[in-house]
Amino acid sequence: MRLLGKVWDSLVYLVLLAGGVSMLVPFFWMVSTSLKAPGAVFDLPVEVWPKELHWENYQRVLTSVPFSRWYLNSLLVALGLTLLNLTSGAMGGYAFARFRFRGQGALFLLFLATLMIPVHVLIIPLFILMRNLGWVDTYYALILPGLFDAFAIFLMRQHFLHLPRELEEAAIMDGATPWQVYWRVALPLAAPALATLGTFTFLAGWNSFLWPLIVTNSLEMRPLTVGLAVFQGQFSTEWTVLMAGLTLGTIPPILVFLLAQRYFIQGLTLGSLKG
Amino acid sequence: MRAYYRFPFLFLLPSLVGFLAFNLGPILTSLLLSFVAYDGLRPLGLATFRESWVGLENYRRLLEDPVFHKAFVNTFFYVAVAVPLEIGLALLLALGLNRPWPGVRFIRTLYLLPTVTSVVAVGLLWRWILNPTVGPVNLFLRWVGERMEGVYGLLGLTPPSWVAWLAREGPGWLSDPAWAMWGVILASVWAGVGLRMLIFLAGLQNINREYLEAASLDGANNLQRFFYVVLPLLSPTVFLNTLLAMIGGFQVFGLVYTMTGGGPLDSTNVLMLYLYRKAFGVFPFEMGYASAIAWVLFLILFALTYLQWTLRKRWVVEEA
Repeated sequence: MRLLGKVWDSLVYLVLLAGGVSMLVPFFWMVSTSLKAPGAVFDLPVEVWPKELHWENYQRVLTSVPFSRWYLNSLLVALGLTLLNLTSGAMGGYAFARFRFRGQGALFLLFLATLMIPVHVLIIPLFILMRNLGWVDTYYALILPGLFDAFAIFLMRQHFLHLPRELEEAAIMDGATPWQVYWRVALPLAAPALATLGTFTFLAGWNSFLWPLIVTNSLEMRPLTVGLAVFQGQFSTEWTVLMAGLTLGTIPPILVFLLAQRYFIQGLTLGSLKG
Repeated sequence: MRAYYRFPFLFLLPSLVGFLAFNLGPILTSLLLSFVAYDGLRPLGLATFRESWVGLENYRRLLEDPVFHKAFVNTFFYVAVAVPLEIGLALLLALGLNRPWPGVRFIRTLYLLPTVTSVVAVGLLWRWILNPTVGPVNLFLRWVGERMEGVYGLLGLTPPSWVAWLAREGPGWLSDPAWAMWGVILASVWAGVGLRMLIFLAGLQNINREYLEAASLDGANNLQRFFYVVLPLLSPTVFLNTLLAMIGGFQVFGLVYTMTGGGPLDSTNVLMLYLYRKAFGVFPFEMGYASAIAWVLFLILFALTYLQWTLRKRWVVEEA
Protein backbone atom coordinates (compact mmCIF):
# COMPACT_ATOMS: atom_id res chain seq x y z
CA MET A 1 0.00 0.00 0.00
CA ARG A 2 2.81 2.39 0.93
CA LEU A 3 4.54 1.79 -2.39
CA LEU A 4 1.31 2.14 -4.33
CA GLY A 5 0.70 5.49 -2.62
CA LYS A 6 4.15 6.71 -3.61
CA VAL A 7 3.69 5.65 -7.22
CA TRP A 8 0.29 7.39 -7.31
CA ASP A 9 1.78 10.54 -5.78
CA SER A 10 4.60 10.68 -8.31
CA LEU A 11 2.09 10.19 -11.08
CA VAL A 12 -0.09 13.06 -9.82
CA TYR A 13 2.98 15.26 -9.52
CA LEU A 14 4.08 14.47 -13.07
CA VAL A 15 0.61 15.22 -14.46
CA LEU A 16 0.49 18.57 -12.63
CA LEU A 17 3.96 19.46 -13.88
CA ALA A 18 3.21 18.38 -17.45
CA GLY A 19 -0.06 20.35 -17.37
CA GLY A 20 1.79 23.43 -16.15
CA VAL A 21 4.40 23.15 -18.86
CA SER A 22 1.72 22.66 -21.52
CA MET A 23 0.13 25.93 -20.37
CA LEU A 24 3.31 27.54 -21.68
CA VAL A 25 3.05 26.02 -25.16
CA PRO A 26 0.96 28.90 -26.60
CA PHE A 27 3.48 31.43 -25.23
CA PHE A 28 6.34 29.40 -26.65
CA TRP A 29 4.58 29.23 -30.02
CA MET A 30 4.07 33.00 -29.96
CA VAL A 31 7.76 33.70 -29.41
CA SER A 32 8.89 31.02 -31.84
CA THR A 33 6.61 32.36 -34.61
CA SER A 34 7.78 35.91 -33.94
CA LEU A 35 11.33 34.82 -34.82
CA LYS A 36 10.54 32.95 -38.04
CA ALA A 37 11.04 34.16 -41.60
CA PRO A 38 7.78 35.85 -42.68
CA GLY A 39 7.33 33.58 -45.69
CA ALA A 40 8.12 30.34 -43.89
CA VAL A 41 5.33 30.02 -41.32
CA PHE A 42 3.06 27.96 -43.58
CA ASP A 43 5.79 25.52 -44.69
CA LEU A 44 5.33 21.87 -43.76
CA PRO A 45 6.80 20.24 -41.76
CA VAL A 46 6.49 23.05 -39.24
CA GLU A 47 9.68 24.20 -37.54
CA VAL A 48 9.22 24.14 -33.79
CA TRP A 49 12.03 26.64 -33.24
CA PRO A 50 13.51 28.54 -36.20
CA LYS A 51 17.09 27.73 -37.16
CA GLU A 52 17.75 31.35 -38.07
CA LEU A 53 16.30 33.97 -35.75
CA HIS A 54 14.52 36.75 -37.66
CA TRP A 55 14.61 39.71 -35.29
CA GLU A 56 13.47 41.97 -38.11
CA ASN A 57 9.85 41.09 -37.23
CA TYR A 58 10.29 43.15 -34.07
CA GLN A 59 11.85 45.96 -36.03
CA ARG A 60 8.92 45.93 -38.45
CA VAL A 61 6.21 45.98 -35.81
CA LEU A 62 7.92 48.92 -34.13
CA THR A 63 8.22 50.91 -37.34
CA SER A 64 5.41 49.95 -39.70
CA VAL A 65 2.42 50.59 -37.42
CA PRO A 66 2.09 53.22 -34.66
CA PHE A 67 2.95 50.42 -32.29
CA SER A 68 5.16 52.48 -29.99
CA ARG A 69 2.41 55.07 -29.68
CA TRP A 70 -0.11 52.35 -28.72
CA TYR A 71 2.37 51.00 -26.21
CA LEU A 72 2.82 54.45 -24.70
CA ASN A 73 -0.97 54.96 -24.59
CA SER A 74 -1.45 51.67 -22.74
CA LEU A 75 1.24 52.62 -20.25
CA LEU A 76 -0.23 56.09 -19.69
CA VAL A 77 -3.78 54.76 -19.34
CA ALA A 78 -2.79 51.96 -16.97
CA LEU A 79 -0.69 54.30 -14.81
CA GLY A 80 -3.32 57.05 -14.90
CA LEU A 81 -6.07 54.65 -13.88
CA THR A 82 -3.90 53.28 -11.09
CA LEU A 83 -3.12 56.72 -9.69
CA LEU A 84 -6.79 57.78 -9.88
CA ASN A 85 -8.04 54.56 -8.35
CA LEU A 86 -5.53 54.64 -5.48
CA THR A 87 -6.32 58.27 -4.72
CA SER A 88 -10.11 58.06 -4.68
CA GLY A 89 -10.21 54.52 -3.26
CA ALA A 90 -7.91 55.29 -0.33
CA MET A 91 -9.70 58.57 0.45
CA GLY A 92 -13.12 56.93 0.26
CA GLY A 93 -11.99 53.93 2.29
CA TYR A 94 -10.56 56.21 4.96
CA ALA A 95 -13.82 58.17 5.12
CA PHE A 96 -15.79 55.01 5.84
CA ALA A 97 -13.23 53.58 8.27
CA ARG A 98 -12.58 56.60 10.47
CA PHE A 99 -15.55 58.98 10.21
CA ARG A 100 -19.05 58.65 11.63
CA PHE A 101 -21.78 60.45 9.74
CA ARG A 102 -25.48 60.37 9.08
CA GLY A 103 -26.40 57.89 6.35
CA GLN A 104 -22.98 56.22 6.45
CA GLY A 105 -24.32 52.65 6.29
CA ALA A 106 -26.77 53.45 3.53
CA LEU A 107 -24.13 55.18 1.40
CA PHE A 108 -21.73 52.28 1.83
CA LEU A 109 -24.41 49.80 0.78
CA LEU A 110 -25.30 51.94 -2.21
CA PHE A 111 -21.65 51.98 -3.26
CA LEU A 112 -21.33 48.22 -2.83
CA ALA A 113 -24.51 47.68 -4.85
CA THR A 114 -22.72 49.07 -7.92
CA LEU A 115 -20.57 45.93 -7.89
CA MET A 116 -23.74 44.13 -9.00
CA ILE A 117 -24.11 46.33 -12.09
CA PRO A 118 -22.20 44.85 -15.02
CA VAL A 119 -20.25 47.32 -17.18
CA HIS A 120 -22.26 46.56 -20.28
CA VAL A 121 -25.26 48.39 -18.77
CA LEU A 122 -23.10 51.51 -18.39
CA ILE A 123 -21.18 51.74 -21.63
CA ILE A 124 -23.83 53.18 -23.95
CA PRO A 125 -24.84 56.15 -21.75
CA LEU A 126 -21.20 56.63 -20.72
CA PHE A 127 -20.24 56.88 -24.36
CA ILE A 128 -22.98 59.47 -24.95
CA LEU A 129 -21.73 61.39 -21.92
CA MET A 130 -18.17 61.35 -23.26
CA ARG A 131 -19.40 62.60 -26.62
CA ASN A 132 -21.36 65.42 -25.01
CA LEU A 133 -18.28 66.43 -23.00
CA GLY A 134 -16.17 66.30 -26.17
CA TRP A 135 -13.92 63.69 -24.59
CA VAL A 136 -14.19 60.96 -27.23
CA ASP A 137 -10.73 59.99 -28.50
CA THR A 138 -8.92 61.65 -25.57
CA TYR A 139 -7.11 60.38 -22.49
CA TYR A 140 -9.91 61.86 -20.35
CA ALA A 141 -12.39 59.31 -21.70
CA LEU A 142 -9.89 56.48 -21.23
CA ILE A 143 -9.02 57.32 -17.63
CA LEU A 144 -11.56 59.49 -15.80
CA PRO A 145 -14.54 57.04 -15.75
CA GLY A 146 -12.34 54.97 -13.38
CA LEU A 147 -12.79 57.67 -10.72
CA PHE A 148 -15.27 55.62 -8.70
CA ASP A 149 -14.54 52.01 -7.87
CA ALA A 150 -16.52 50.36 -5.09
CA PHE A 151 -14.03 47.49 -4.83
CA ALA A 152 -11.17 49.93 -4.18
CA ILE A 153 -13.14 51.71 -1.45
CA PHE A 154 -14.09 48.40 0.13
CA LEU A 155 -10.54 47.06 0.06
CA MET A 156 -9.03 50.23 1.52
CA ARG A 157 -11.73 50.50 4.20
CA GLN A 158 -10.95 46.95 5.36
CA HIS A 159 -7.29 47.81 5.56
CA PHE A 160 -7.76 51.06 7.49
CA LEU A 161 -10.11 49.33 9.94
CA HIS A 162 -7.35 46.87 10.78
CA LEU A 163 -4.69 49.55 11.34
CA PRO A 164 -3.88 50.31 14.98
CA ARG A 165 -5.32 53.71 15.88
CA GLU A 166 -2.70 54.87 18.40
CA LEU A 167 -0.49 56.65 15.90
CA GLU A 168 -3.42 58.56 14.44
CA GLU A 169 -4.63 59.45 17.94
CA ALA A 170 -1.21 60.81 18.83
CA ALA A 171 -1.27 62.98 15.71
CA ILE A 172 -4.73 64.31 16.61
CA MET A 173 -3.46 65.18 20.10
CA ASP A 174 -0.68 67.14 18.45
CA GLY A 175 -3.34 69.16 16.67
CA ALA A 176 -3.17 67.64 13.17
CA THR A 177 -6.18 68.16 10.89
CA PRO A 178 -8.00 65.06 9.54
CA TRP A 179 -6.28 65.50 6.18
CA GLN A 180 -2.83 65.69 7.80
CA VAL A 181 -3.56 62.59 9.86
CA TYR A 182 -4.63 60.78 6.71
CA TRP A 183 -1.81 61.96 4.49
CA ARG A 184 1.11 61.78 6.92
CA VAL A 185 0.12 58.90 9.21
CA ALA A 186 -2.56 56.57 7.85
CA LEU A 187 -1.68 56.50 4.15
CA PRO A 188 1.98 55.50 4.60
CA LEU A 189 0.83 52.63 6.81
CA ALA A 190 -1.51 51.49 4.06
CA ALA A 191 1.33 50.84 1.60
CA PRO A 192 0.72 47.05 1.34
CA ALA A 193 -2.96 47.56 0.53
CA LEU A 194 -2.07 50.26 -1.98
CA ALA A 195 0.38 47.85 -3.62
CA THR A 196 -2.33 45.19 -3.91
CA LEU A 197 -4.85 47.60 -5.34
CA GLY A 198 -2.26 49.17 -7.62
CA THR A 199 -1.19 45.83 -9.07
CA PHE A 200 -4.78 45.00 -9.85
CA THR A 201 -5.69 48.29 -11.39
CA PHE A 202 -2.54 48.38 -13.50
CA LEU A 203 -3.20 44.91 -14.91
CA ALA A 204 -6.87 45.65 -15.52
CA GLY A 205 -5.95 48.94 -17.18
CA TRP A 206 -3.27 47.47 -19.41
CA ASN A 207 -5.59 44.64 -20.48
CA SER A 208 -8.82 46.64 -20.83
CA PHE A 209 -10.45 46.36 -24.21
CA LEU A 210 -14.19 47.06 -24.54
CA TRP A 211 -14.22 50.61 -23.19
CA PRO A 212 -11.14 51.84 -25.11
CA LEU A 213 -12.54 50.19 -28.24
CA ILE A 214 -15.66 52.33 -27.91
CA VAL A 215 -14.18 55.71 -26.97
CA THR A 216 -11.16 55.87 -29.27
CA ASN A 217 -11.27 56.09 -33.04
CA SER A 218 -8.03 57.60 -34.28
CA LEU A 219 -4.94 55.52 -34.92
CA GLU A 220 -2.95 57.60 -32.42
CA MET A 221 -5.30 57.26 -29.45
CA ARG A 222 -5.72 53.49 -29.45
CA PRO A 223 -4.18 51.57 -26.56
CA LEU A 224 -2.23 48.44 -27.51
CA THR A 225 -5.11 45.96 -27.02
CA VAL A 226 -7.43 47.91 -29.33
CA GLY A 227 -4.68 48.72 -31.80
CA LEU A 228 -3.74 45.07 -32.22
CA ALA A 229 -7.34 43.84 -32.35
CA VAL A 230 -8.68 46.43 -34.78
CA PHE A 231 -5.70 46.40 -37.07
CA GLN A 232 -5.15 42.67 -37.07
CA GLY A 233 -6.51 42.64 -40.61
CA GLN A 234 -3.38 44.52 -41.58
CA PHE A 235 -1.27 41.68 -40.18
CA SER A 236 -3.46 38.74 -41.04
CA THR A 237 -1.01 37.64 -43.69
CA GLU A 238 1.94 38.61 -41.51
CA TRP A 239 1.68 36.32 -38.51
CA THR A 240 5.34 36.75 -37.62
CA VAL A 241 4.93 40.50 -37.18
CA LEU A 242 1.68 40.12 -35.23
CA MET A 243 3.33 37.58 -32.89
CA ALA A 244 6.25 39.98 -32.35
CA GLY A 245 3.70 42.64 -31.36
CA LEU A 246 1.90 40.26 -29.02
CA THR A 247 5.18 39.20 -27.42
CA LEU A 248 6.08 42.82 -26.70
CA GLY A 249 2.57 43.51 -25.42
CA THR A 250 2.55 40.52 -23.09
CA ILE A 251 5.82 41.44 -21.37
CA PRO A 252 4.55 44.29 -19.10
CA PRO A 253 1.61 42.47 -17.49
CA ILE A 254 3.65 39.30 -16.94
CA LEU A 255 6.52 41.33 -15.50
CA VAL A 256 4.20 43.22 -13.17
CA PHE A 257 2.57 39.96 -12.14
CA LEU A 258 5.88 38.23 -11.39
CA LEU A 259 7.18 41.19 -9.41
CA ALA A 260 3.96 41.76 -7.46
CA GLN A 261 2.66 38.19 -7.32
CA ARG A 262 2.26 38.34 -3.55
CA TYR A 263 0.01 41.42 -3.72
CA PHE A 264 -1.91 40.05 -6.67
CA ILE A 265 -2.79 36.83 -4.85
CA GLN A 266 -3.62 38.69 -1.64
CA GLY A 267 -6.01 40.95 -3.48
CA LEU A 268 -7.69 38.11 -5.30
CA THR A 269 -8.33 36.07 -2.21
CA LEU A 270 -9.52 39.15 -0.34
CA GLY A 271 -11.78 40.15 -3.18
CA SER A 272 -13.22 36.73 -3.73
CA LEU A 273 -13.72 35.48 -0.21
CA LYS A 274 -14.90 38.64 1.44
CA GLY A 275 -16.22 40.65 -1.49
CA MET B 1 -10.06 56.41 18.94
CA ARG B 2 -12.79 58.98 18.70
CA ALA B 3 -14.18 58.99 15.24
CA TYR B 4 -14.66 62.30 13.48
CA TYR B 5 -18.39 62.92 13.86
CA ARG B 6 -19.04 64.74 10.63
CA PHE B 7 -19.47 64.21 6.95
CA PRO B 8 -16.02 63.66 5.39
CA PHE B 9 -16.83 65.78 2.37
CA LEU B 10 -13.26 66.19 1.13
CA PHE B 11 -12.49 62.48 1.42
CA LEU B 12 -15.66 61.39 -0.33
CA LEU B 13 -15.63 64.06 -3.04
CA PRO B 14 -13.84 62.05 -5.77
CA SER B 15 -15.91 58.91 -5.16
CA LEU B 16 -19.18 60.81 -5.03
CA VAL B 17 -18.48 62.67 -8.26
CA GLY B 18 -17.49 59.43 -9.96
CA PHE B 19 -20.46 57.57 -8.54
CA LEU B 20 -23.03 60.14 -9.67
CA ALA B 21 -21.50 60.97 -13.06
CA PHE B 22 -20.15 57.61 -14.18
CA ASN B 23 -22.39 55.09 -12.39
CA LEU B 24 -25.76 56.21 -11.10
CA GLY B 25 -26.43 58.66 -13.94
CA PRO B 26 -25.55 56.16 -16.70
CA ILE B 27 -27.56 53.35 -15.04
CA LEU B 28 -30.73 55.44 -14.98
CA THR B 29 -30.09 56.76 -18.50
CA SER B 30 -29.52 53.24 -19.76
CA LEU B 31 -32.85 52.08 -18.37
CA LEU B 32 -34.66 55.01 -20.03
CA LEU B 33 -32.75 54.47 -23.29
CA SER B 34 -34.11 50.95 -23.56
CA PHE B 35 -37.59 52.48 -24.09
CA VAL B 36 -36.66 54.84 -26.93
CA ALA B 37 -35.57 54.53 -30.55
CA TYR B 38 -32.25 56.35 -30.59
CA ASP B 39 -29.65 56.34 -33.37
CA GLY B 40 -26.90 57.85 -31.24
CA LEU B 41 -26.39 60.76 -33.63
CA ARG B 42 -28.93 63.34 -32.43
CA PRO B 43 -28.06 65.09 -29.18
CA LEU B 44 -29.66 63.27 -26.28
CA GLY B 45 -31.99 65.40 -24.18
CA LEU B 46 -35.39 65.31 -22.55
CA ALA B 47 -36.94 66.10 -25.95
CA THR B 48 -35.38 62.93 -27.38
CA PHE B 49 -37.07 60.83 -24.76
CA ARG B 50 -40.43 62.54 -25.36
CA GLU B 51 -40.33 62.31 -29.15
CA SER B 52 -38.77 58.89 -29.59
CA TRP B 53 -40.47 57.02 -26.76
CA VAL B 54 -41.49 53.56 -28.02
CA GLY B 55 -42.40 51.90 -24.74
CA LEU B 56 -41.67 48.19 -24.74
CA GLU B 57 -41.19 48.04 -28.52
CA ASN B 58 -37.42 47.34 -28.22
CA TYR B 59 -38.08 44.41 -25.91
CA ARG B 60 -40.85 43.11 -28.19
CA ARG B 61 -38.48 43.25 -31.18
CA LEU B 62 -35.95 41.14 -29.27
CA LEU B 63 -38.51 38.34 -29.13
CA GLU B 64 -38.67 38.25 -32.92
CA ASP B 65 -35.02 38.91 -33.77
CA PRO B 66 -33.42 35.69 -35.10
CA VAL B 67 -29.85 37.00 -34.60
CA PHE B 68 -30.64 37.83 -30.98
CA HIS B 69 -32.01 34.32 -30.51
CA LYS B 70 -28.87 32.86 -32.02
CA ALA B 71 -26.65 35.02 -29.78
CA PHE B 72 -28.76 34.09 -26.76
CA VAL B 73 -28.44 30.34 -27.42
CA ASN B 74 -24.72 30.64 -28.22
CA THR B 75 -24.04 32.54 -25.00
CA PHE B 76 -25.85 29.92 -22.92
CA PHE B 77 -24.01 27.13 -24.73
CA TYR B 78 -20.68 28.84 -24.12
CA VAL B 79 -21.41 29.25 -20.40
CA ALA B 80 -22.82 25.73 -20.05
CA VAL B 81 -19.65 24.17 -21.50
CA ALA B 82 -16.84 26.53 -20.51
CA VAL B 83 -17.80 27.09 -16.88
CA PRO B 84 -18.08 23.43 -15.74
CA LEU B 85 -14.87 22.61 -17.64
CA GLU B 86 -13.02 25.49 -16.04
CA ILE B 87 -14.39 24.91 -12.53
CA GLY B 88 -13.80 21.13 -12.68
CA LEU B 89 -10.24 21.45 -13.94
CA ALA B 90 -9.48 24.24 -11.48
CA LEU B 91 -10.75 22.19 -8.55
CA LEU B 92 -8.59 19.21 -9.53
CA LEU B 93 -5.55 21.48 -9.96
CA ALA B 94 -6.15 23.20 -6.62
CA LEU B 95 -6.46 19.86 -4.82
CA GLY B 96 -3.24 18.68 -6.45
CA LEU B 97 -1.33 21.89 -5.89
CA ASN B 98 -2.44 22.33 -2.28
CA ARG B 99 0.27 19.88 -1.22
CA PRO B 100 3.89 20.64 -0.37
CA TRP B 101 5.42 19.30 -3.59
CA PRO B 102 8.90 20.46 -4.55
CA GLY B 103 8.52 23.66 -6.59
CA VAL B 104 4.78 23.88 -6.03
CA ARG B 105 4.75 27.68 -6.12
CA PHE B 106 6.51 27.62 -9.47
CA ILE B 107 3.96 25.17 -10.91
CA ARG B 108 1.10 27.35 -9.66
CA THR B 109 2.69 30.33 -11.40
CA LEU B 110 2.74 28.41 -14.69
CA TYR B 111 -1.04 28.03 -14.51
CA LEU B 112 -1.47 31.70 -13.55
CA LEU B 113 0.49 33.28 -16.40
CA PRO B 114 -2.38 33.17 -18.96
CA THR B 115 -4.64 34.81 -16.36
CA VAL B 116 -2.74 38.10 -16.48
CA THR B 117 -2.49 38.13 -20.27
CA SER B 118 -5.03 40.41 -21.98
CA VAL B 119 -8.03 38.81 -23.70
CA VAL B 120 -6.94 40.46 -26.92
CA ALA B 121 -3.53 38.80 -26.78
CA VAL B 122 -5.17 35.48 -25.85
CA GLY B 123 -7.65 35.74 -28.72
CA LEU B 124 -5.14 36.73 -31.39
CA LEU B 125 -2.65 34.15 -30.17
CA TRP B 126 -5.22 31.35 -30.20
CA ARG B 127 -6.32 32.21 -33.73
CA TRP B 128 -2.80 31.23 -34.66
CA ILE B 129 -2.58 28.26 -32.26
CA LEU B 130 -5.80 26.86 -33.79
CA ASN B 131 -4.68 27.31 -37.39
CA PRO B 132 -5.92 24.10 -39.06
CA THR B 133 -2.75 23.40 -41.07
CA VAL B 134 0.21 24.74 -39.07
CA GLY B 135 -1.20 25.33 -35.56
CA PRO B 136 0.24 23.21 -32.75
CA VAL B 137 -3.17 21.86 -31.73
CA ASN B 138 -3.82 20.27 -35.10
CA LEU B 139 -0.17 19.24 -35.48
CA PHE B 140 -0.63 17.30 -32.25
CA LEU B 141 -4.00 15.85 -33.29
CA ARG B 142 -2.54 14.75 -36.65
CA TRP B 143 0.38 13.12 -34.83
CA VAL B 144 -2.10 11.24 -32.60
CA GLY B 145 -4.13 10.23 -35.67
CA GLU B 146 -1.06 8.87 -37.44
CA ARG B 147 -0.05 6.84 -34.39
CA MET B 148 -3.57 5.40 -34.23
CA GLU B 149 -3.43 4.50 -37.90
CA GLY B 150 -0.16 2.76 -37.19
CA VAL B 151 -1.75 0.70 -34.43
CA TYR B 152 -4.66 -0.28 -36.67
CA GLY B 153 -2.16 -1.22 -39.37
CA LEU B 154 -0.17 -3.43 -37.00
CA LEU B 155 -3.37 -5.23 -36.06
CA GLY B 156 -4.18 -5.65 -39.75
CA LEU B 157 -7.39 -3.58 -39.47
CA THR B 158 -8.64 -0.70 -41.58
CA PRO B 159 -8.80 2.42 -39.41
CA PRO B 160 -12.27 4.03 -39.13
CA SER B 161 -12.81 7.15 -41.19
CA TRP B 162 -12.53 9.53 -38.24
CA VAL B 163 -9.01 8.30 -37.51
CA ALA B 164 -8.04 8.95 -41.12
CA TRP B 165 -9.67 12.37 -40.85
CA LEU B 166 -7.69 13.11 -37.69
CA ALA B 167 -4.45 12.01 -39.30
CA ARG B 168 -5.03 13.96 -42.56
CA GLU B 169 -6.77 17.18 -41.58
CA GLY B 170 -8.37 17.47 -38.11
CA PRO B 171 -10.95 20.07 -37.02
CA GLY B 172 -11.19 23.30 -39.02
CA TRP B 173 -11.69 25.17 -35.72
CA LEU B 174 -12.48 28.84 -36.24
CA SER B 175 -13.34 28.53 -39.93
CA ASP B 176 -15.88 25.75 -39.35
CA PRO B 177 -19.28 26.69 -37.85
CA ALA B 178 -19.45 23.31 -36.10
CA TRP B 179 -16.09 23.79 -34.38
CA ALA B 180 -15.67 27.55 -33.92
CA MET B 181 -17.35 27.79 -30.51
CA TRP B 182 -15.25 24.90 -29.26
CA GLY B 183 -12.15 26.82 -30.31
CA VAL B 184 -13.28 29.85 -28.32
CA ILE B 185 -14.04 27.64 -25.32
CA LEU B 186 -10.60 26.04 -25.50
CA ALA B 187 -8.91 29.45 -25.43
CA SER B 188 -11.12 30.70 -22.61
CA VAL B 189 -10.42 27.69 -20.41
CA TRP B 190 -6.69 28.12 -21.00
CA ALA B 191 -6.92 31.76 -20.02
CA GLY B 192 -9.27 31.37 -17.07
CA VAL B 193 -8.43 28.16 -15.24
CA GLY B 194 -5.55 29.68 -13.23
CA LEU B 195 -7.71 32.33 -11.60
CA ARG B 196 -10.35 29.78 -10.58
CA MET B 197 -7.61 27.51 -9.22
CA LEU B 198 -6.23 30.35 -7.12
CA ILE B 199 -9.64 31.01 -5.56
CA PHE B 200 -10.03 27.29 -4.76
CA LEU B 201 -6.55 27.23 -3.22
CA ALA B 202 -7.50 30.12 -0.94
CA GLY B 203 -10.64 28.22 0.08
CA LEU B 204 -8.70 25.02 0.74
CA GLN B 205 -6.19 26.84 2.90
CA ASN B 206 -9.05 28.12 5.06
CA ILE B 207 -10.13 24.58 5.95
CA ASN B 208 -9.22 23.67 9.49
CA ARG B 209 -6.71 20.81 9.44
CA GLU B 210 -8.19 19.32 12.59
CA TYR B 211 -11.28 18.17 10.72
CA LEU B 212 -9.10 16.22 8.31
CA GLU B 213 -7.06 14.70 11.09
CA ALA B 214 -10.21 13.73 12.99
CA ALA B 215 -11.56 12.04 9.86
CA SER B 216 -8.31 10.12 9.40
CA LEU B 217 -8.41 8.95 13.00
CA ASP B 218 -11.91 7.67 12.35
CA GLY B 219 -10.45 5.63 9.52
CA ALA B 220 -11.60 7.66 6.51
CA ASN B 221 -9.58 7.11 3.34
CA ASN B 222 -8.56 9.88 0.91
CA LEU B 223 -11.74 9.68 -1.17
CA GLN B 224 -13.98 9.68 1.88
CA ARG B 225 -12.10 12.64 3.34
CA PHE B 226 -12.60 14.51 0.09
CA PHE B 227 -16.32 13.82 -0.27
CA TYR B 228 -17.34 14.02 3.39
CA VAL B 229 -14.98 16.67 4.76
CA VAL B 230 -13.22 18.77 2.13
CA LEU B 231 -16.02 19.21 -0.39
CA PRO B 232 -18.71 20.26 2.14
CA LEU B 233 -16.34 22.74 3.78
CA LEU B 234 -15.28 24.01 0.38
CA SER B 235 -18.85 24.40 -0.85
CA PRO B 236 -19.08 28.19 -0.23
CA THR B 237 -15.99 28.64 -2.42
CA VAL B 238 -17.38 26.32 -5.09
CA PHE B 239 -20.58 28.36 -5.21
CA LEU B 240 -18.84 31.71 -5.31
CA ASN B 241 -16.32 30.57 -7.89
CA THR B 242 -19.01 29.12 -10.15
CA LEU B 243 -21.10 32.27 -9.84
CA LEU B 244 -18.15 34.51 -10.73
CA ALA B 245 -17.24 32.28 -13.69
CA MET B 246 -20.83 32.34 -14.97
CA ILE B 247 -21.14 36.10 -14.62
CA GLY B 248 -17.89 36.50 -16.54
CA GLY B 249 -18.97 33.92 -19.10
CA PHE B 250 -22.24 35.64 -19.94
CA GLN B 251 -20.28 38.80 -20.69
CA VAL B 252 -17.71 37.16 -22.98
CA PHE B 253 -16.69 39.69 -25.62
CA GLY B 254 -12.98 40.27 -26.27
CA LEU B 255 -12.18 36.65 -27.06
CA VAL B 256 -14.99 36.33 -29.59
CA TYR B 257 -14.23 39.74 -31.08
CA THR B 258 -10.60 38.85 -31.75
CA MET B 259 -10.94 35.15 -32.57
CA THR B 260 -13.96 34.97 -34.87
CA GLY B 261 -15.81 38.29 -34.90
CA GLY B 262 -18.93 36.22 -34.21
CA GLY B 263 -18.60 34.08 -37.33
CA PRO B 264 -18.63 31.89 -39.25
CA LEU B 265 -22.38 32.23 -39.95
CA ASP B 266 -23.03 33.73 -36.50
CA SER B 267 -21.96 30.42 -34.94
CA THR B 268 -20.01 32.29 -32.22
CA ASN B 269 -22.11 35.44 -32.05
CA VAL B 270 -22.78 36.20 -28.36
CA LEU B 271 -24.96 38.73 -26.54
CA MET B 272 -22.19 41.22 -25.77
CA LEU B 273 -20.94 41.18 -29.33
CA TYR B 274 -24.46 41.72 -30.66
CA LEU B 275 -24.97 44.57 -28.19
CA TYR B 276 -21.70 46.17 -29.31
CA ARG B 277 -22.57 45.83 -32.99
CA LYS B 278 -26.03 47.35 -32.50
CA ALA B 279 -24.78 50.29 -30.45
CA PHE B 280 -21.41 51.09 -32.01
CA GLY B 281 -20.48 48.68 -34.77
CA VAL B 282 -22.95 48.70 -37.62
CA PHE B 283 -24.62 51.79 -39.04
CA PRO B 284 -27.40 52.86 -38.40
CA PHE B 285 -26.70 52.59 -34.69
CA GLU B 286 -29.58 51.46 -32.49
CA MET B 287 -28.60 52.50 -29.00
CA GLY B 288 -32.11 52.08 -27.60
CA TYR B 289 -32.32 48.54 -28.92
CA ALA B 290 -28.81 47.77 -27.65
CA SER B 291 -29.79 49.08 -24.21
CA ALA B 292 -32.70 46.64 -24.18
CA ILE B 293 -30.19 43.83 -24.86
CA ALA B 294 -28.07 45.15 -21.98
CA TRP B 295 -31.02 44.96 -19.57
CA VAL B 296 -32.01 41.48 -20.68
CA LEU B 297 -28.43 40.40 -19.99
CA PHE B 298 -28.59 42.17 -16.64
CA LEU B 299 -31.78 40.31 -15.75
CA ILE B 300 -30.12 36.99 -16.62
CA LEU B 301 -27.18 37.79 -14.35
CA PHE B 302 -29.46 39.01 -11.58
CA ALA B 303 -31.65 35.90 -11.74
CA LEU B 304 -28.53 33.76 -11.69
CA THR B 305 -27.14 35.47 -8.61
CA TYR B 306 -30.50 35.24 -6.85
CA LEU B 307 -30.85 31.56 -7.74
CA GLN B 308 -27.36 30.79 -6.47
CA TRP B 309 -28.01 32.50 -3.15
CA THR B 310 -31.25 30.59 -2.67
CA LEU B 311 -29.60 27.28 -3.48
CA ARG B 312 -26.65 28.20 -1.33
CA LYS B 313 -28.81 28.27 1.78
CA ARG B 314 -29.85 24.68 1.11
CA TRP B 315 -26.59 23.11 0.08
CA VAL B 316 -23.73 25.01 1.54
CA VAL B 317 -22.28 23.83 4.81
CA GLU B 318 -21.28 26.84 6.89
CA GLU B 319 -18.39 26.26 9.21
CA ALA B 320 -19.60 26.52 12.78
